[in-house]
Amino acid sequence: MKGGAKVVVEPHRHEGVFIARGKEDALVTKNITTGESVYGEKRVSVDQEDGTKVEYRVWNPFRSKIAAAILGGVDNIWIKPGSKVLYLGAASGTTVSHVADIVGPTGIVYAVEFSHRSGRDLVNMAKKRTNVIPIIEDARRPEKYRMLVGMVDTVFADVAQPDQARIVAHNGKYFLKNGGHFVISIKANCIDSTVEAPVVFAREVKKLQQEGFKPAEQITLEPYERDHAVVVGAYRAVKDKKEK
Amino acid sequence: MTSFVLFESASGYALFEQTDTDEIGQLADKLQNSVVDLERFSQIVRLKAFMPFSSAENALENIRAVNEGTVHETLKNFLEMNLPKAKPGKKSKCMLGVIDSKLASTIAEELSIPCESNDTVLEISRGIRLHFSRFVSELKDGDLEKTQLGLAHNYSRSKVKFNVNKVDNMII
Repeated sequence: MKGGAKVVVEPHRHEGVFIARGKEDALVTKNITTGESVYGEKRVSVDQEDGTKVEYRVWNPFRSKIAAAILGGVDNIWIKPGSKVLYLGAASGTTVSHVADIVGPTGIVYAVEFSHRSGRDLVNMAKKRTNVIPIIEDARRPEKYRMLVGMVDTVFADVAQPDQARIVAHNGKYFLKNGGHFVISIKANCIDSTVEAPVVFAREVKKLQQEGFKPAEQITLEPYERDHAVVVGAYRAVKDKKEK
Repeated sequence: MTSFVLFESASGYALFEQTDTDEIGQLADKLQNSVVDLERFSQIVRLKAFMPFSSAENALENIRAVNEGTVHETLKNFLEMNLPKAKPGKKSKCMLGVIDSKLASTIAEELSIPCESNDTVLEISRGIRLHFSRFVSELKDGDLEKTQLGLAHNYSRSKVKFNVNKVDNMII
């Protein structure tokens, strides 16, 4: 995408996410490693009024569940500048790099991936982005990385495993703050391909509820993904009297 | 009986003493809520000792040992130095909480320290994890994150490299 003065970048409703208005609108994040793409995505450089340039990277909703959820109109992604995020199922780190852009230098992304093949790309990506802590471990065994992770504000999970509710619950117990939030992507046929997707989603939501998670919102990722849902909610919600 | 909790961090080992054990019920609302508030939490536990890892290699050796459930020399020295000693021929009077049951049983076996690993230990560890850098005066703001970053890179890189035949370990 051509940058320069023609493209206008506006902040999105979600803090740390932007929209580039050009010939076609695109979801973008502010690149924290200016001059470099992570996975061949396009970059947009925008001239500021004071003569400096700010670079943004285009975030493809077909390649990222979080981007798809944002375009699908999710109410809150609970990831913003300064957030500490535990990211389960980081894969090669494409979406992780955008999350790192959003949380910025004051935030942290603990990125867990079990596959060594994608793990290699993840570690390499994290070399340049020091707010990403790469962890090559099994997300089923949070005790294995308990020395590497602090308490986090948000758990994001894209693990596509039949027991993912248990995986999220287990990690929540270790690392998710009271009153923290979870964002979980559910791929219906990874869990049970014999029943309708909405039935699978409802079952997963129920499992989460039993573990102290309080789902607040559920959206499907159409048209970007088939039979996928993203569920967002709070963990061990604190009853705060001051708020009332 | 005094209760202790072992907390393993990227910076080093820490030992916390539970001052208010009787009050802690399993998953009690009180514990869950007081964990959030540092002031109330520090009435429940206090830092007994902290030992930073001597080097990046030392940290890597220790995280490996902890993950395999074995007692590294560093951990052994740390516990022997800081836990109250039992009189010869008598049972130890302290109880050590360890988050991982496998490590708990090795410590109990090798060092003859009674260990426990349960939900209460996990709840207390949540509180320690939340306030850790404020308990340990050696750690300034951001220090813990830096050690996490360094150790995670070392650990993850060694794991990726270890897999010589470059075959994916698929999860079944």
